[in-house]
Formats: sequence, C-alpha cells, structure tokens
Amino acid sequence: MVFSWLHLAIILFLIGGLLFAGGPLILSYLVAPRARGGDMGMPYECGMRPYGGSWTRFGINYYVYALLFLAFDVDVLYLFPVATVYRATEGWLPFLEMFIFLFVLALAIIYFWAKGVFTWPRKVS
Amino acid sequence: MNAIPAELLRIIIGLVAIAVSVGLIGLVMVWVERKVAGHIQRRPGPYEVGPNGLIQPLCDALKLVGKQLFMPKGADPILFWLAPVLAFLPVLLLFLPLPVGDGLQTLDVNLGLLLILAFSGLAVLSVLLAGWASNNKYGLLGAARGVAQAVAYEIPLLLSVLAVSFVAGSLDLAHVVKLQGTWPWNWNIMTQPLAFLIYIVSALGETNRAPFDLPEAESELTAGFHTEYSGMGFGLFFLAEYANMVVVCSVATALFLGGWHGPVLPGPVWFVLKVSALMLLMVFVRWTYPRVRFDQLLVINWKWLLPLAVANLLLTAFFVKLAQFA
Repeated sequence: MVFSWLHLAIILFLIGGLLFAGGPLILSYLVAPRARGGDMGMPYECGMRPYGGSWTRFGINYYVYALLFLAFDVDVLYLFPVATVYRATEGWLPFLEMFIFLFVLALAIIYFWAKGVFTWPRKVS
Repeated sequence: MNAIPAELLRIIIGLVAIAVSVGLIGLVMVWVERKVAGHIQRRPGPYEVGPNGLIQPLCDALKLVGKQLFMPKGADPILFWLAPVLAFLPVLLLFLPLPVGDGLQTLDVNLGLLLILAFSGLAVLSVLLAGWASNNKYGLLGAARGVAQAVAYEIPLLLSVLAVSFVAGSLDLAHVVKLQGTWPWNWNIMTQPLAFLIYIVSALGETNRAPFDLPEAESELTAGFHTEYSGMGFGLFFLAEYANMVVVCSVATALFLGGWHGPVLPGPVWFVLKVSALMLLMVFVRWTYPRVRFDQLLVINWKWLLPLAVANLLLTAFFVKLAQFA
C-alpha cells in the first residue's frame, strides 16, 4: 500500500488529538492541589462505604444482542463497496442480488423476533 | 523554491483550524445548553459572569483545570487515565473529511463517510474503559449500558447512511453534497425522509444524548461511566461529547440537508446555520423527553429502526434501478 497524504493526515490528526487531550491533563497535574489521606480514595457510592469490590461477576443479559450485532455489523460492511458501484451497474441482476442479501438479513430479524429474543423478560437464554 | 508541499500546508492549516473550532464549540455549546435548559425550566440559566453569563464556560474550564485529579483506591491507573484521552483522540480526525464549503475541507477523502463511521466507534471503547477501570459499581453499570447502546444503534445508523450513498453512488461527503441542489426540495431529505429520521434517532443514541443517555443517567447512576472522574478528566469526556454532536450533525447536514447549498448567503454560512439548527434540536430533545428504559432502548432499535432501515435500503435500491430505466 502506498503511503498517501491521507495516511499522513490521519497520523497528524491523531497526534493533534493526543496533544489536545494531554495538554490540559498535564497542566491540571501541574497546577492542581494534591490532597490525600482519609477516605479521599474511596470509590464514590453516595457516601456509603462500598461493600465488596466492583470487579465482580456481572450478568450481561444482552449478550444475545451482542452476538446479533456482530453478525449484522459484518454483513452491513459488505454493502459499503456495493454502494459505490451500484449506480454504475446495468440490468436488474444487481438489484436481485441486493434483494437476496437483505432478504436473508430480514429473515434473521424475523427468526429472532419469533424466537422471543426481543421480548423482555427474555424467554430464551 | 517551494520547500513545503501544498498538501502538508493544507493538512496543518486544517488541523489548527479544527482544533481551535473544537475548543470554541465546547465553550459555546456549554453556554447554549445551560441557557436553553434554564429557559425551558423557567429560570434564567447562567447570568452573573459577563453579559448574560457568556464568560461562564470559560471560568468553568479554568476551574476544571485547577481541580485535583482523583483516582479511586484500587482502580487500574493505566486504563483509568487512558479512557479520557481515548475519548478525545479520534475527535479531531472525525472533522477531517467534513466539507464545510465548496472545496473548503481539509482533504478530499473518497471514503470520508467510512472514515468517520470507523473512528467514531472508538468512543464506545473509552466509555467501557472508563467504567471498568474506575473500580466503581455505578461506573461498571454505566459501561455495560454504554456497550449495549452501541450494540443497538450502530446498525440502523449504518443502514440509513448507506441508503444515501446508494443514491449518490459515493462515500465521499463532498460528492454527496455536490449532487444536491440549492433549494430545500433539491436536498436528499425529500427523497430519504425515513433514513433521515432513523439517522437522527440513532445519532442521539450514538452520542449518548438524552433520551438515550443511559451510560450517564445522572438520576440513577450518579454520573455513570465517569462518576470517578474529576477536573479535566471529566472535562475531556464533556468536550468529546459536544465535538461528537457537531460531527454527527455535520454528517446529517452533508448527507440529508444539502450541505453548503442554500440561496443568497455564501456556502459555509449555510453549513454552519444548518449544523447549529440540528444541534439546537438535539439540545431541545434532551430537555424535553424523559430517558427511555434499558429494554425499551433495545426494543426501539431491533423491532422498529432496524426493520425500517432494511426496508428503506431495499426500496432505495429498487428506485435507483427504476430511475436508470425510466
């Protein structure tokens, strides 16, 4: 791959973002007071002493959505190259292919809908 | 003779201009949001510092710099400080392909839309890191919700954007704008009203704005994922949120509202006016509608927005072909 101006611009802009974010943080580190001691380091839970750590086992009850999202996201990504060439194509075949692609996607939604993934509280786990 | 290449000069000028405008946008938006919120709740909002409280955000920024940077006991120090930096890191880059006027953009990126969509995905990562690393239960809940929200709103957003690029046949924002006309009935919103609606709703979710501000949810989770951040750590999250709002509104303007096109006034003025109108809309929505519940959010997306977006894209593809033969 050729190193173009765009790549340089992306790198420069990321460095710019880093400086823009880091500058105030470093300035704040230099000028701000540094009090410590007492309960200052206690995680804030509205004044109550935290009971147990927060890095515990935690029910992520939307993981089915996350799996669905992964599948859909990758599928939708395939449509981006199609979008750039779709107008230039001839005949109805490209539309038929699009139809099949999106129809399968829609079938997936209907399948999960019927299976009860989208109803709360969830029927399937 | 000419030692500095023109492209490099262009990139650096763009970078400086964007950095300055992001800072200014942050200050102005803090003032606008507090003023609008105040008047909606029948109080004057910031009033004392400067005329109509105009200097207030500047004082707030200085105050934030002067506040101690706390980190709770037992937090992960690297991830904890990485999160606010990561939240702001891609923000300047998101402005890179935005066409403010005819030819007035940093670089003409032929995949500009994809660039914006790809790098705006990093915002979720910073929410997750911030919530997880701060060793706080509110933070953890906020992070979990933030990820769920991203999972919900990414796909309708992509599909609604795709509908426009199918019509334009390009992912280049400047090209999409050029295909639209001067008057409102020549804009893409007339041919793609459903996509515009889906885009705006998903964009509210994408930028964590009310009614989809579940990761923050100040009335239930204190401040959600940034509960433990004080001073500038909090300030960076805030600034990144406003900058992301501007990016989302600018993309909406370029794709649906004709970008720099408009009668009488010069192009950049129209662009700024349209973006400001959309930003005001987002602020009004925040102070008008109550927050949705977690399961409602997922249902809105998967039962409404996603099927509608798929149907919309299919219809668009059909009409593009129909227009070819007509």
